[in-house]
Amino acid sequence: MSAVITDTSQAAATPLVRLSKLNKHYGDFVAVDNLSLDIHEGEFLTFLGSSGSGKSTTLSMLAGFETPSSGEILVQGKSLINVPPHKRDIGMVFQRYSLFPHLSVRGNISFPLDIRKLAADECERRVEAMLKLVQLESFAHRRPSQLSGGQQQRVAIARALVYEPRILLMDEPLGALDKKLREDLQDELRHLHRRLGITIVYVTHDQEEAMRLSQRIAIFSHGRIVGLGTGQTLYQNPPNAFVASFLGNSNFLQGTLTGNASVQFEQQALAIKPQNLPLNSDVLLMVRPEKAQVLPLDAPTPLLTGWNEITAQVSEVVFLGDSLTCSVVTPGGSRLTVKALPHGQAPLHSGAQVRVRWAAADACVYSEWNAADLSKSAAH
Amino acid sequence: MKMAARPTPAANLAARASRAPTAQSHSGEQAVRWRGATYLLPALLFLGLFFLVPLLGLLLRGVLEPTPGLGNYEQLFASSAYSKVLFNTFAVASLVTLFSLLLGFPLAWAITLTPNGWGRWLLNIVLLSMWTSLLARTYSWLVLLQSSGVINSTLQSLGLINEPLAMVHNLTGVVIGMSYIMIPFIVLPLQATMSAIDPMVLQAGSICGASPLRSFFKVFLPLCRPGIFSGGLMVFVMSLGYYVTPALLGGAQNMMLPEFIIQQVQSFLNWGLASAAAALLILITLVLFYVYLKLQAESPVASSTAR
Repeated sequence: MSAVITDTSQAAATPLVRLSKLNKHYGDFVAVDNLSLDIHEGEFLTFLGSSGSGKSTTLSMLAGFETPSSGEILVQGKSLINVPPHKRDIGMVFQRYSLFPHLSVRGNISFPLDIRKLAADECERRVEAMLKLVQLESFAHRRPSQLSGGQQQRVAIARALVYEPRILLMDEPLGALDKKLREDLQDELRHLHRRLGITIVYVTHDQEEAMRLSQRIAIFSHGRIVGLGTGQTLYQNPPNAFVASFLGNSNFLQGTLTGNASVQFEQQALAIKPQNLPLNSDVLLMVRPEKAQVLPLDAPTPLLTGWNEITAQVSEVVFLGDSLTCSVVTPGGSRLTVKALPHGQAPLHSGAQVRVRWAAADACVYSEWNAADLSKSAAH
Repeated sequence: MKMAARPTPAANLAARASRAPTAQSHSGEQAVRWRGATYLLPALLFLGLFFLVPLLGLLLRGVLEPTPGLGNYEQLFASSAYSKVLFNTFAVASLVTLFSLLLGFPLAWAITLTPNGWGRWLLNIVLLSMWTSLLARTYSWLVLLQSSGVINSTLQSLGLINEPLAMVHNLTGVVIGMSYIMIPFIVLPLQATMSAIDPMVLQAGSICGASPLRSFFKVFLPLCRPGIFSGGLMVFVMSLGYYVTPALLGGAQNMMLPEFIIQQVQSFLNWGLASAAAALLILITLVLFYVYLKLQAESPVASSTAR
């Protein structure tokens, strides 16, 4: 686990925020379990996890609404534990916007500045700039209840940015919006982050949103971070079976190690990436559906070196427009899903015998896993 | 009488709307709006016969007896004894509103904040006190406040005072007793308003940099405003016309308007002056009610529920 959490790519930079050995208990329930994490200046980091995984609790501790049971929160080397929320200089966007209903859009945005007793002209200038940034100039006099959900959320973002906080926290800010609007706002947010260079910590349970927005993703499960890295790394090289099954779709094949780079799977020998594990140990192979190919039995295509091939029977074919999803069952009863491009090939029918191929380099190998990790339903 | 005749044109309108399809959209809307009006008839008839007609009669007495003219009103404002009654009424109503707000606000807040079960219990206690007989509650205050009462004898035995404090049969007693009686009328609307406030909005206030004190004054209090206004105005209006408590806890020297009206009617059979005073009370109440309606329409909670 610790190997996962230490991120080597940005280790040189001193972190803006350091969470160290953070715990939060509610009675017997462990919401956050010995969590350590570095957040770097200017990065867009997303906490991704299902509900109850501790991501929102961690964010609340960062904001100061929850006090950690133990552990330390450091911002630029200074402890935040005993600093009340209003002195933390952190911006936050809430899931249900939480605008001040008694104030206009302008009043909402200028609220943090009024509290800080900024000079009137400076306040005016900043509010105007923010209204422009979130494109709500013509709505400045309206009450929040007179705005749409997307507009309200833009006001909330403006309110959180206007006092130029060091860190912006966002707690599932787009969760209440419909899909189209959500995607538009995701793009806006990404551009905003690029323009302002502010550090953003974003909480979501939507992996697509996490991928679309963030530079780094921290995957939460049972109060721990079980995967940390760029979306690409986490998807292509999941550090463990949980992350593999949580992010995207995955096929798992259980086998026994017969050599440094070979596995016995249902009476078939498969090549894998070289492992440093004892012989005869159980291993789990993970192949992404889009990395596997499905071919009819009589296809003349030769098997390339470094590729594996197994035979299986098609159980279902689903057409999805840009792809075909083909479910197959091996003679040993393992189920695989293969994403095939619907071109050139002879159509596949359920019941047909096929060959399934993948490159050994595309399969990830795990020596430890929980049965619960493998079913996607367990993650939700 | 006039009221009773009202639904008839509406019914005509509805009939016309169904006959004239060209004007359907506008008058159709009107017809829908007035469709249920006939069902109002019994209530309007009742109100007209037993409320409006007697009220009109009362108001007429104010300008007709003993001689036609505005003499009664002149008397009411000219005489220093009568204007003192008016002053007492307003002073007591204002003080009662202030004290019941000061006591009711924290109570409503406590009910809102306490976890479900206990909050309900607190609310039930408030309701129970409201449902207990007014006379019983007022007499209990008499027991507590009189010169040989619980409070005075306790304070005397502690050596804090030598002479019993005069806390009853004067305006002090009236203010104390009425503030207590009015608390539920503050707590109920205020608690409803407070429980409708999203607690995340207060968190938003604090993350924006507002200390708990500033959050209270700049976010929480403005959001409670509709409850404060509706509760406060209700208490103020009710206090203006309250009779039982002032009659029992107040003194003969410092009367309030309702006591004055009863005295004029029962002791002096001066219906003219009593009617004028009653008319004044009604006018004040109507003006306050108008103010209340105006403020309610502008309140943030009203606009958010309108959505």
